[in-house]
Amino acid sequence: MIPSGTVVIGLGNPLMSDEGIGVYLVNELERRGACPGVCFEDMGTSGTRILHKIANKARAVFVDCAFMGEEPGTMRAFTPEDVASVKKLGHFSTHESDLLVMLELSRLLGECPPQITIFGIEPQSLAQGSSLSPLLAAEVESYLEEITKAVLAPA
Amino acid sequence: MAKKIDINVHHITRVEGHGNIVLKADSGKIEKLEWQVPEAPRFFEAMVRGADYRDIQTVVSRVCGICSISHSFAAIKAIEDALGIEVSAQTAKLRKLAHYSEQMQSHTLHVGYLAAPDLLGVKSVVPLVDSRFELVQAIIKLHRIANNWSDLIAGRTTHPTTFRPGGFSRVPTKKQLADLKAVFVDCVPDLKFVAAVVLDLAAKIPDFKRETEYVALVEPGVYTFYAGNVGSTDSAITVPPQQFESVVNEYVVSQSTAKWAKWHRESYMCGALARFNLNQQYLHPLAGEVAAMFGLRGKLTNPYLNTIVQLVEIVECVEAAIELIDDLVSTGIQEEPLAPITRFGTGAGAVEAPRGILFHRYTFDGQGICQSANMSIPTNQNHANIQHDMEALLPQIIDKTEDEIRLALEMLVRAYDPCISCSTHYLDVSFV
Repeated sequence: MIPSGTVVIGLGNPLMSDEGIGVYLVNELERRGACPGVCFEDMGTSGTRILHKIANKARAVFVDCAFMGEEPGTMRAFTPEDVASVKKLGHFSTHESDLLVMLELSRLLGECPPQITIFGIEPQSLAQGSSLSPLLAAEVESYLEEITKAVLAPA
Repeated sequence: MAKKIDINVHHITRVEGHGNIVLKADSGKIEKLEWQVPEAPRFFEAMVRGADYRDIQTVVSRVCGICSISHSFAAIKAIEDALGIEVSAQTAKLRKLAHYSEQMQSHTLHVGYLAAPDLLGVKSVVPLVDSRFELVQAIIKLHRIANNWSDLIAGRTTHPTTFRPGGFSRVPTKKQLADLKAVFVDCVPDLKFVAAVVLDLAAKIPDFKRETEYVALVEPGVYTFYAGNVGSTDSAITVPPQQFESVVNEYVVSQSTAKWAKWHRESYMCGALARFNLNQQYLHPLAGEVAAMFGLRGKLTNPYLNTIVQLVEIVECVEAAIELIDDLVSTGIQEEPLAPITRFGTGAGAVEAPRGILFHRYTFDGQGICQSANMSIPTNQNHANIQHDMEALLPQIIDKTEDEIRLALEMLVRAYDPCISCSTHYLDVSFV
């Protein structure tokens, strides 16, 4: 199957403050309608189901809360090859729903998008509650701008 | 036998959430054996206090990334009970259809991605892509079918968007349902293939039996997931969901941050094995055939068989869904207004989540604002039973090597398919 189309996936739990930043941004991108033809998915904490949403797409973009050792609020774009997962790859737990393991499985199955970008945002707070921390909330527009630019760039 | 055993499985893998197994034994004498759950409490019950009755399912569907449909339905049924809402026959049928999709999603994930590696002696499904490509392909195909099925009826694979107290915000078309049925019919050979592969490996399932109490929903004539009263193998009397607190009798123990439960004896088991023990006579023909292939009949007391019963239930869900679709297509599907509120008060709801019976309760004020909430999740109801199983199992395997004991205990926990906490999933990465 020839890969086609772009999927943008938001991950996280919006009931735990900045844990839900990925879901928040992806829902916001979809609402604004600035990326016609792009498929947006709020995948919440759904782990292995990522595999099916990215299958045979030309490009997959993930937006997620990530501990990267950066200042809270920092967003970084990276590829799977840029990072080593701190989680144990061989021990595969769906709770941790290790995105990198899913991408590896997808690759082995021959259906992984050739182009993958992960936007990681360093959280300030993972407390119970459905609002973002003030620090991340103030950065939303700049996150959206950067992600939109990447999504609209030619493959 | 001067053997010291010191096992500390910190965060058992291939279960959702964090659980520890701690075992200390010396010369065959067991000094400590504990199934520990160190997860921090998550306070979802407090988070819905003050919420409008229309918003609760959206919040509670985020309790779990695996069983968000079950949490939505337990909540919606409790809300409808509290607000005196009677849903249409079409709504009840569509909900059952959506609910089957989640059972298939979750069971395929557990049988295929999490339990199969144990039976095949590898640590995850990833190496199986090389060694058992056809099996992995069939599992992925079935999992994908279940996901697309949820998408169609629930509006989204995870965290559903179409469910409302009183009905649906959007219903599928006849054509979409007919197409879905064709997919089900097409996947029957894949179901048989996976069952045959697992049957070949069945000799590796530990032969351990411990009779306990089994608790599940029961409904006359149906292998039920969505409706019914609470039944037990220890009693002929069933209990309506409204009295669920008298079933779970939650209590606190020092080894676990999760509550434990007991009903007629010191612990009980819920989940696929319990459902089978109470409802096996109502399985559809092919599901019955798969159960017979594995010799499953009568009261099953080997907890490791929970995984095999999940396989039977995948088939049951597909067959029951085909029947439901035929029914829906023949009676016709139409958009319906939401059923109205007739009162404000307290109500409870129960459904079978993939891992077992799930209860929600809510109380509302006269404006439909939630005043209090209570949830009792299946994994918590199983913790005490896991501990008692371990205590019965260990003396039977104490002479084995430490690695063999560790694997047997881990497989026991994984057989319960516990979902300790999947509310967070953040990435933890370092750049290379």
